[in-house]
Amino acid sequence: MGDVPVHLIEVTPRELPGLQDTRGESIRSMLAADHNLSVGKVRSITGYQVKANLSPSELLQSLQDLFTDPIIELGTANKSLLDDKSLFPEPPELAIMVGFKPGVTDNAAQAALDGFYTLFPAQKDAQIATTMTYLFWDVPTDTDAVWLAKTLHNQMIERAALANTNHCSNSVWPQLSFPERPTVTFAPPATIDLEVSNEKLIEISEEGLLALNLEEMQAVQAHYRDPDIQAARKALGLPMTAPTDVELECLAQTWSEHCSHKIFAAKIHHVDTETGEDSEINSLFKTHIMQPTLDMQKEVDWLLSIFHDNSGVIEWTDDWSLCIKAETHNSPSALDPFGGAMTGIVGVNRDILGTGLGARPIANMDVFCFGPPDYDGDLPGGLFHPSRVLRGVHAGIRAGGNESGIPTVNGAIVFDDRFIGKPLVYAGTVGIMPRHLPDGRESHDKTPSAGDIVYMLGGRVGSDGIHGATFSSLELTEESPSSAVQIGDPITQKKMIDMVLEARDAGLIQVITDNGAGGLSSSVGEMAELTGGAELNLAVVPLKQPGLSSWEILVSESQERMTVGVSEENIPAFEALAALHEVEATAVGTFTNSGAFIVKHGEKTVAHLPMDFMHDGCPQLNLESEWKQPVHDEPKYPKSNANDMGKILERILARPNVASKEWWVRQYDHEVIAQSVIKPFCGVNHDAPGDAAVIAPLHGDTRGAVVSCGIVPRYSDIDAYAMTAASIDEAVRNAVCVGVDLDKIAGLDNFCWPDPIESEKTPDGRFKLAQLVRSNRALDDVCRAYNLPCISGKDSMKNDAKLDGKKISIPPTLLYTVLGDHQDVRKAVSSDFKDKGDQIYLLGETHQELGASELSYMLAEETGGGIGNDVPQIDTTRNLTLYRALTSAMSKGLVRSAHDCSDGGLATAVAECCFGCDGATTINLDGLVTDNTDLWAVMFGESLGRILVSVKPENTSEFESAMAGNAVAHIGTVDDKKTLQFELEGEPVLKASLSKLLHSWKDTLNMGGEH
Amino acid sequence: MIDTVRVAVLYGFGINCDHETKAVFEMAGAEAERIHVNELVNGDKDLADYHIMAVPGGFSFGDHLGSGRLLGNRLRFGIREMVQDFVKSGKLVIGICNGFQVLVKMGLLPGDEEVSLSQTASLTLNNTGHYEDRWVHLEFDPASPCVWTKGLERIRVPVRHGEGKFVTTIDANLDEWAENGQLVVRYVDPNDAYPSAGDESLPFPICPNASMRNIAGVCDPTGRVFGLMPHPEANHSTWLGATWTREMPEHGEGEGMAIFHNAVNFAKENL
Repeated sequence: MGDVPVHLIEVTPRELPGLQDTRGESIRSMLAADHNLSVGKVRSITGYQVKANLSPSELLQSLQDLFTDPIIELGTANKSLLDDKSLFPEPPELAIMVGFKPGVTDNAAQAALDGFYTLFPAQKDAQIATTMTYLFWDVPTDTDAVWLAKTLHNQMIERAALANTNHCSNSVWPQLSFPERPTVTFAPPATIDLEVSNEKLIEISEEGLLALNLEEMQAVQAHYRDPDIQAARKALGLPMTAPTDVELECLAQTWSEHCSHKIFAAKIHHVDTETGEDSEINSLFKTHIMQPTLDMQKEVDWLLSIFHDNSGVIEWTDDWSLCIKAETHNSPSALDPFGGAMTGIVGVNRDILGTGLGARPIANMDVFCFGPPDYDGDLPGGLFHPSRVLRGVHAGIRAGGNESGIPTVNGAIVFDDRFIGKPLVYAGTVGIMPRHLPDGRESHDKTPSAGDIVYMLGGRVGSDGIHGATFSSLELTEESPSSAVQIGDPITQKKMIDMVLEARDAGLIQVITDNGAGGLSSSVGEMAELTGGAELNLAVVPLKQPGLSSWEILVSESQERMTVGVSEENIPAFEALAALHEVEATAVGTFTNSGAFIVKHGEKTVAHLPMDFMHDGCPQLNLESEWKQPVHDEPKYPKSNANDMGKILERILARPNVASKEWWVRQYDHEVIAQSVIKPFCGVNHDAPGDAAVIAPLHGDTRGAVVSCGIVPRYSDIDAYAMTAASIDEAVRNAVCVGVDLDKIAGLDNFCWPDPIESEKTPDGRFKLAQLVRSNRALDDVCRAYNLPCISGKDSMKNDAKLDGKKISIPPTLLYTVLGDHQDVRKAVSSDFKDKGDQIYLLGETHQELGASELSYMLAEETGGGIGNDVPQIDTTRNLTLYRALTSAMSKGLVRSAHDCSDGGLATAVAECCFGCDGATTINLDGLVTDNTDLWAVMFGESLGRILVSVKPENTSEFESAMAGNAVAHIGTVDDKKTLQFELEGEPVLKASLSKLLHSWKDTLNMGGEH
Repeated sequence: MIDTVRVAVLYGFGINCDHETKAVFEMAGAEAERIHVNELVNGDKDLADYHIMAVPGGFSFGDHLGSGRLLGNRLRFGIREMVQDFVKSGKLVIGICNGFQVLVKMGLLPGDEEVSLSQTASLTLNNTGHYEDRWVHLEFDPASPCVWTKGLERIRVPVRHGEGKFVTTIDANLDEWAENGQLVVRYVDPNDAYPSAGDESLPFPICPNASMRNIAGVCDPTGRVFGLMPHPEANHSTWLGATWTREMPEHGEGEGMAIFHNAVNFAKENL
């Protein structure tokens, strides 16, 4: 292969009237928006490095029929476009070429190669790589070219070459060599001697990135001392008394915090210094998450599959089930925001595809927590600026979701300084599956038998994605491995999804799961539990590059792969379907009932892991927890007249947590599948925020499903119990706002915590664990009260970053997601005020609860003072009674609009509803302000259980009687005024121009420049 | 007059609106079938057995090397004659969003009488530089020969694309297509009285992508091959509209359905 020439193809957009170089323009506007750098002009050249033996005519054909659009582009082969003076009369001042590092997924190149085969089917050995060159003119003279290059590429995965002004004026252009994968030499399995000191055991774990603690290493050590085990190993030709590296890696994956949730399974000694409680909790998961759901399962018949599969499944209609799952992809997104987020979303899509016998992903939910996009403080080395993380993560989620044809229907973006160290990227997906397959099987149940063939489907295995699971169980450091970073390939996955769903309906699948964390070791290892064993042959696994060692093939998390069990008689049909869809399918092993997971590489056995040891051998952690209520200073409230209050509302609306996310959310396809009833935006100008998504996935049918979320990390600064209760209430409340059926709601709990294990590097571990205990107790209390079973969830427990010697921990965060039924989507309600004259009501009670509110944080930043201590408390009975009355009124058509009152309080909610009808109004606060509740709390407080609604004038009495017994305050009339005003006893207490409020709300996060 | 109108809805390689496209043809009374592109290439299925071919929206091959180009090439090189025979026999074709991009890149649209499959226009990046999902107002040319759009004045549908800017490099082409009634659908400002479609560029976001002459979709000279960037199939029912909760409509079929009814009725009567 060494002699094969590399042809360089260059393509650039033509510049003619009406045509522009949009890629270059986007870079120009990004530099202006994020870096305040004003560059005169940016152009772009796409490069294709084609490594193939091509005749001149073939080269020309590839240029004309493949690489260049004949209308809008110009291309050349093997000569630089920059040398063409008719195209570029003035040389650029800077030219920066960016390409991928060897081995990094290059989707454009993969697509180009596919197109190349269409033209030249015989060229099966061709290779292609892509580059992008940016050319700059009118660059401010003090611009650091190296800094600019770094801004345009991520050194973790990309390379860049730079031509400075001097180079450019001498026609010396940047060049990158073809990204040849370095040759990898196969290393035969090694034996790891564990008969060593405890210190050495820890060293083995740390050096191997195994993330196993001493007790766990000792448990492994003990296993290999068992005489029965030794005898079994001898018979298989394995080292008798010590693990192979394949076995140790496989155990490290299976036992990783990421895969086995050791903290949630731990025995916890919990002390509450406020109440004197001293108790023991045997697994937070079993006690506070699983048990409440199991108790609820006795009362309803629609909880089909909970906890044990890749997602939770509920019966939706007689014919269809829905399933839901959310994951986090925090560490990879910190290192490569684009690739990390993209693999996050396409990864959770595979969880849905791997549920039961396969479900179709139909809706994505994406929730991010970032540092503020306008952050101007110190940035520890090795961290990206939050605006770059935001752009990268957003682009990854956008590409992953849009290209897969899965609408992003719901989400949130939360900002706080502490997410600079570790951004949180939650990616969730809803799936749909028939209750029964044509062959009669229930599609939520896996039906494997010993003897079924194990197929690996989709992508190939490479050295990318090694140690993802164990790495995410470690703190982020400067040494974090680049091999843990990957880029997704949505099109390979889309082909696989199409194929799997057809295979499912044809009855060809017995069992299926995705290859995510831990790769084949986890997917085959977990499914082997169902039959009692499996045998895998690594030698037949298709590789991206030869030479990978056995353990690498076993644990690599290379993307876009499913593992499927197929019974022998279905092999021909299964393989034919794979061929039709151009999906690679390889038989890599067999499910057995031998009681062990046996891995071979060719003839040689390289691992023997008894199922019970693999899945139950990890010792339980014993942890210490101690709660002490933190005390904060109270906020300082500035003396303010009505105009000042108007300015305060303007500033609240401009805060990133409250501000419109429209510029970002519009870039997601939220309507593919043609099912979107309540969209992310509503209102006369389609720019008011939706509370929850309503989808009607059966075309032409009016039965719907509701998806909503709640997330309030800052309440943890006062109490993680309150944070958790508020998150769940917000998710439920949002679902109520669109008219969910409260008799069928299910939840997802996704915890992201800082490391809560007390240690030298985490001296406050007891407190962080106590926060986790309190959070779980809130989850238990609130979910039971709302009849809201948690059907799936996930935890990510090491969200700390240590950089430049400084530790940054995230605030403890729960994302709570609700999936609910909607009986008739024609009765769904949106948040925007509708017609002038409609009557406005505030439902629910307001209390003096400004602690950790958006207002308190803003005042703390503006005037000093603290965030206060009165964090909103939950009254589940009061809330549920109100929610039931409201959804019942909605089903009678009595409610014109409903909007959740949360971040920024009533004033924010009113403003957002007014944006929806493009008209302001006057709100009367008489009766809301009392001796116990001041004006600040009424206007900006975030008391739970409150919803702002509007009702047609002719329906008010029927509405009021439907709501009887609940707190209902009639506060105004929908109008078309220019000025939003709040009044108390006839006097204005807040005045603001609606158009100014709208601009404040919209401008903060509009990072594209267009309006 | 035929009893059953048969529709081939293509899919594979990242097409992703195939299910709803199949659904809208069925709602319009046709019998629709999802056909993998490879089933045509392999000869397992024959386009001649169908009356309508639909190329739905999606992200075929991830839009790499230009949206629609790689799938267009698969059709142009893989089933060239099958497609040409289908079109020449007077049957109907629709391309929506990515499907429209495919038809333009393979030269089927705006096309020519000979069905020569030579590209004369293109769809390129929106001037905003990114993908967007937003609702737009469309207006149809009443003088167009397009059989898909007969009787339509204006409808509201979403656009969902990053590369929807319709362009050509020769002005004369645009004039000729306009003359032929091939510039069948354009973005319009709903505040302007009907008819208002014109050549003068409308601002973002009324024209969401800076298309030349606000073009949202075109047909071939016969009016039987039609493509557009916006998604009429996404407005198949009233409860999918962008502002339906404000309008309290009599619930039923959405504004996008007329296009599919037109095609199915035409096929019934003429094929």
